[in-house]
Amino acid sequence: MKKIISVLITLTLFLAMPAYAEKSKPLDDLKGPLEQGIAILKDPEYTSNREEQREKIWELVQKMFDFKAIAIRALARNWRGFSPEQQDEFTVVFTELLKNTYLDKIQGQFHDEEVVFEDQDMLSEDKAVVETKVIRQGNVEIPIIYSMHFKDTDQIWQVYDVNIEGVSLVKNYRNQFKSILDKDSPEDLIKRIREKNVKHEQDRKNQ
Amino acid sequence: MNLFCIRYHLPVILLFCLLFSWPGGPLTAVAEAENPSEAGEMDPEYLEFLEEFEEEEEAEETLQVADPLYYWNKSMYYFNDRLYFWVLKPVARGYQFVTPQPVRTGFKNFFTNLTTPVRFVNCLLQGKSEAAGVELGRFMVNTTFGGLGFFNLARLEPSLQEIPDDEDLGQTLAVYGIGNGFYIVWPVLGPSTLRDTLGTLGDGFLDPVAYVDPTAAAAGIRAFEQVNGLTFRLGDYETLKDSAIEPYEAIRNAYIQNRQKKIKE
Repeated sequence: MKKIISVLITLTLFLAMPAYAEKSKPLDDLKGPLEQGIAILKDPEYTSNREEQREKIWELVQKMFDFKAIAIRALARNWRGFSPEQQDEFTVVFTELLKNTYLDKIQGQFHDEEVVFEDQDMLSEDKAVVETKVIRQGNVEIPIIYSMHFKDTDQIWQVYDVNIEGVSLVKNYRNQFKSILDKDSPEDLIKRIREKNVKHEQDRKNQ
Repeated sequence: MNLFCIRYHLPVILLFCLLFSWPGGPLTAVAEAENPSEAGEMDPEYLEFLEEFEEEEEAEETLQVADPLYYWNKSMYYFNDRLYFWVLKPVARGYQFVTPQPVRTGFKNFFTNLTTPVRFVNCLLQGKSEAAGVELGRFMVNTTFGGLGFFNLARLEPSLQEIPDDEDLGQTLAVYGIGNGFYIVWPVLGPSTLRDTLGTLGDGFLDPVAYVDPTAAAAGIRAFEQVNGLTFRLGDYETLKDSAIEPYEAIRNAYIQNRQKKIKE
């Protein structure tokens, strides 16, 4: 009898296993690339070759973030008012804006900062939040929470919002875009973001 | 800064605050344009996403804040922006260059320790007796063994290690059900709301620096505290501003979101 039960248990476990093993964990999908990124930032090899470092980090960031989801969420209701071409164009320029600002920030400022992974909270089957803390010099802690969802197409967890000290990136942009779109057209918004990107690019070249 | 003056004005400010913050009061309503939407063709995976946050968006109305002083606020935003880039940032950088990090951390600890009464009282007002106890314990350990708060020795004691969340009177008032009122940007002090301004004034009574005489000395101490604190946050304001398409709106929203989080904690 005992034997039968143990066989049954083993069998059940065996059958149940793949269902869990298939899906990666949000924390791992974030932690892996993030730590690789930090290693690249600290690698002295790149001190003289910042552009190459930038591209290397960008490759990792693209794996970690779902920029289309971020774009849709930032426009919210207004997304449907954009034509498919405008939606694509908006996604491209907005991604570029995020790329410029955040790569500049981490490339320019990442001295001896440390990232601590605190917790992972499954909100549902395919939604989760990962809580991290950036620890700066002088023991200054900055809580950063990543909202992630599981993308079936890529079979990977990706970030769709970042929350820094209570401020959600997506909500912050949503508020700005809403106030612009209340007055101006989607074309105007795309144009303004594009102008900002050009300015960022120039500033970087002039450094 | 004449505190006695403020004391006389408190009832008036409070009345003002209530008038503006009453839920559904005449001045708190924020206009919301309805956009009739039609579904375009899109990825089913993202479509699901879109529907989901439309619900979420409804719940987000609380993040809106009335801004009747828009023109004043915007000029103050420009003023503070110039103040940051022309004065505060260069001064903080110079100071950072000549002052070793442990010294700056020491001063930061010192000022944090000094404002313990503010956090302690507000913990109590919000019924957070455990956090209040930790604040008190940290204050006692750090003031005595930690050399007037320069050293955070309380971290050696396991029960005092975890620093409680910052509490202030603005948050206490929010917990009591008082709304933001409206957004207001003060010169030098930066973004606030009517409620949080009232909170800051009230907290001033518990802040030892406010009792320093003459007023010029108190202002000097405040300025030093600000510059010292800024050396740990240099570059953050720039990132927020650079990433924004509408920086004024971005900062207003960030302020409200950050306060919302602190109130919830």
